[in-house]
Amino acid sequence: MRLRKLLPTYLMASAYAFLLVLPLFTLLSASLRAEGDLYAPGPLEPYREALSRYPLPRFLLNSLLVSVAVTLGVLATSLLAAYALTRLRFRGREALFGLAVALLLVPGEVTFLPLYLLVDRLGWLDTYAALTVPFLASPLGVFLLRQYLRTLPEDYFDAARIDGATHWQVLRHVALPLSAPALGALAALTFIGTWNMYLWPLVVTKSREMQTAQIAVNFILNEEVARWNVVAAGAILVLLPTLIAFLLAQRAFVRGIALGGLKG
Amino acid sequence: MRRRRGELLTALPFLLPAYALFLLFLVWPALEALWLSLHRENLFGRGREWVGLGNFQEVLARPEFWKSALLTLKFALVVAPLELVLGLLAALLVYRPYPGVAFFRTLFFLTTAVPTAVAAVAWGWFLHPVGGWANRALAGLGLPPQPWLTSPDLALYTLGVITAWSGVGFTAILLTAGLQNIPEEVLEAATVDGASPWTRFFRITLPLLSPTLFLVGLLVVLKSLTAFGQIHLLTRGGPAESTMVWIYRVYQDAFFNFQVPLAAAEAFLLFLVLLLLAALQFWLLGRRVHYAA
Amino acid sequence: MGVQGFFLAKAGLLAALLLGTAQAQRITVEFWHSMGGVLGEATEALVKEFNASQSRVQVKAQYVGSYDDGINKLLAALRAGRGFPHVIQVYDIGARIMADSGAVVPLEDLARKNGFDLDHLLPQPRNYYTVDGKLFGLPFNSSNPILYFNMAAFQEAGVPFKPTWSLKDLEEAARKLTKKDAQGRTVRYGLSIPIDSWFVEQISYNSGEYFCNNENGRRARATAVAFDNPAAVAFLDTYARLVREGVAANTGRNWADSQSLFAQGQAAIASYSTASLTGVLRQVGNRFPVRTAYYPYLKERNGVAIGGAALYVLKGFSEAETQGAWEFVRFLLEPRTQAKWHLATGYFPVVKGVTELPEVRQAHVRQPNYTTAIQQLATSKVNNASAGCLMGAFPEIRQYVQAAWEEILKGKPAQEALKEAKAKADAALERYNRSVAGR
Repeated sequence: MRLRKLLPTYLMASAYAFLLVLPLFTLLSASLRAEGDLYAPGPLEPYREALSRYPLPRFLLNSLLVSVAVTLGVLATSLLAAYALTRLRFRGREALFGLAVALLLVPGEVTFLPLYLLVDRLGWLDTYAALTVPFLASPLGVFLLRQYLRTLPEDYFDAARIDGATHWQVLRHVALPLSAPALGALAALTFIGTWNMYLWPLVVTKSREMQTAQIAVNFILNEEVARWNVVAAGAILVLLPTLIAFLLAQRAFVRGIALGGLKG
Repeated sequence: MRRRRGELLTALPFLLPAYALFLLFLVWPALEALWLSLHRENLFGRGREWVGLGNFQEVLARPEFWKSALLTLKFALVVAPLELVLGLLAALLVYRPYPGVAFFRTLFFLTTAVPTAVAAVAWGWFLHPVGGWANRALAGLGLPPQPWLTSPDLALYTLGVITAWSGVGFTAILLTAGLQNIPEEVLEAATVDGASPWTRFFRITLPLLSPTLFLVGLLVVLKSLTAFGQIHLLTRGGPAESTMVWIYRVYQDAFFNFQVPLAAAEAFLLFLVLLLLAALQFWLLGRRVHYAA
Repeated sequence: MGVQGFFLAKAGLLAALLLGTAQAQRITVEFWHSMGGVLGEATEALVKEFNASQSRVQVKAQYVGSYDDGINKLLAALRAGRGFPHVIQVYDIGARIMADSGAVVPLEDLARKNGFDLDHLLPQPRNYYTVDGKLFGLPFNSSNPILYFNMAAFQEAGVPFKPTWSLKDLEEAARKLTKKDAQGRTVRYGLSIPIDSWFVEQISYNSGEYFCNNENGRRARATAVAFDNPAAVAFLDTYARLVREGVAANTGRNWADSQSLFAQGQAAIASYSTASLTGVLRQVGNRFPVRTAYYPYLKERNGVAIGGAALYVLKGFSEAETQGAWEFVRFLLEPRTQAKWHLATGYFPVVKGVTELPEVRQAHVRQPNYTTAIQQLATSKVNNASAGCLMGAFPEIRQYVQAAWEEILKGKPAQEALKEAKAKADAALERYNRSVAGR
């Protein structure tokens, strides 16, 4: 394409990109200012403060552990279920899928209290179990993977079955590699979604040691009355992992989301 | 016999992990919440008594509830068009390959990676009455600073913009894929026939994109109906209850007013609305696909 | 081995036994609090000191988030019947709720059992948390509202300092202190008060009015609110008027935003809690001298009620554990401990005999602003108005008052907005009272 024809595109794209990223940019700049200068137009002091006054590394580690565990769980349970929902035939198959879709719509604020009581009865309060186990399966995961698997050509699967493979083997050697884009997308989505959880960790954790990064942001925001530079530093630190995950997985992410989300 | 049951037995071990977890951690608590909404009790969880649909009646009789429902509708009407239009604009700018498109794509899709809490803090600072860049820019232009988040007239719209910003990356991704699915030949044929870019867009691109647009639109609306984090961090339902959307009222009733069964009833009603919208989507989409095929 | 060996073995056994029993006797007391930042550090310091001072009880302190988060966690734990702590910090407006919960071991009972004379406590904090004649909680972090002044602005505008202010005086001073530029835009506001129901409550108490009926719920259980009283109406109407004139700044509900404005010198008079003192002084730095004064009143000064939070000892634990919890509470009531807490935070001491301690005297000389709240309290009348309102559903009702304040800023007359809020508040209160009745 000729560059002259592209010029308007570049201009518009740059303008849009600039406006889009602006709030994040101001956050970054606030995080690098000393306190007095916040309201006037200096560097890493706020980060040092954010890191020293709050056990941010621990918060970040917790979020990381929980997010990774839940992501792996969701990938596994969703692929298994999606495989059954697409490649196996049985009565009630569509109904089960419908159930998953309906569950997508149940807002967390509805189920939080009974879930809390259940988790308490299991003795999981203030443990990683409470933060991970309830989320190891995701209706969204089942939905996305089932949609994606349906777009794959039947022949691959049929060929493997004809060759005498069991369903497990088909899953491992055919479905798994072919679903890589969708799995990548789901992984990124789940990681970010779990990282993002807010109300639930707030409620089920008591000790500082168990709390997650999102709570840290809320926490710092409440504590650091008006010290936006420290809040900003904390927020940037909490942003970094998902940002990096996104940048790394971007292509797979984009392909997977689009493919999975669009067909029927 | 075996034919009828199909491959259920084979399927069980595949389905069990996911569905067992669903049953235990989603269905059961949801049912228990529903059960709770049919009772009344005091804030210590004692004195539980059956009231049937009493809570639902009370909820529907409260003017604040309808106010919240209206606010939620307004909110969705702000978020959805904004997110769709901007997402479409972004998608149009990056769906075709050209040098540097990857860079723009990354930036456009970036907001997907920003957790709600961080987005809230970033915008909170951006719109800060004293130090925020938005007001400083206005001051530089000689305009008065705006109380973006502290004015009952502005707050809801401000939050709508923030929510749209958070979601526009995801929307852009989906719409980009949608645009890429439109066969080039159709557009080329139209160009050969002498159609202008505008005509091409409105007569060909848009109609072919419409199933995707529809799906994305509905997703956006559903998401906007349950937006919570940014409201909690930035306005807490205020000022003057101008951002007290449905889901925030549920939270408020459960955690500030300690009226858990009432909140459960409100939440269940919200769930019904979401269910209705989703059912609508599937039905309409089903019909469209029929057409397209 | 021989006799020596035998003795050694016996000594060793005895030591092990003693050590073992000593360790077995080390009781763990779980303590939930909502003190973050500077306040949290001070709290942790006290806990550490207590743990180090004796070997019977080990207090484990947990920061459970804001007061709202804390009480929600508590209520959830109470419903589940387990997981609640031995001692918990609950905000002032939770007093009625805690008393109604049936989950609290009243401090009065613990004090009597252990021979502690409750007259050591200052009357106002004691009265605040006394429900149906019994003291339920320990007023741990008690505060007052006070006025903060930017003395450089005062000098510039020629406004003299005085310790007590009527609402009218405050209005006049705020007008004098407002500075506007050539285009009529306010460069420095005269007044900034965060939108918080607390300030409406306090102006009521300080003017001799009640915030809820039955004499603030002290004579009998409160069944309706009384915040449509003349003091509250005047306060809100005045504030709205001043905002419209560009004299008062509307910074919303966030205290931090108002405090930044004040600290930057852009608001000459502000009102916050005495607990905000350390934070505000730090923010102001040496930009301008700060002085503090008593909270305003409508016509005649009655007295302010205390704010903050109290510690409650919960039922459901063994005798030994409850005793351990009491020992922690007892430690916190010692004058030396109160002194440390007061000086580190700005909350005032709740027991008598603290202000005379040498370290406290010296600190007061260095920074006299710390004494304002103490003196305000000492010169307040002790009656049911200054005891503060005691009612259930308080957190919800505060929301209605705050929403009303915001409506008033939009132009609604205070009387009308408060009447509407009263209707909602009364309904909420009625609902609450009904729900705890059959308890």
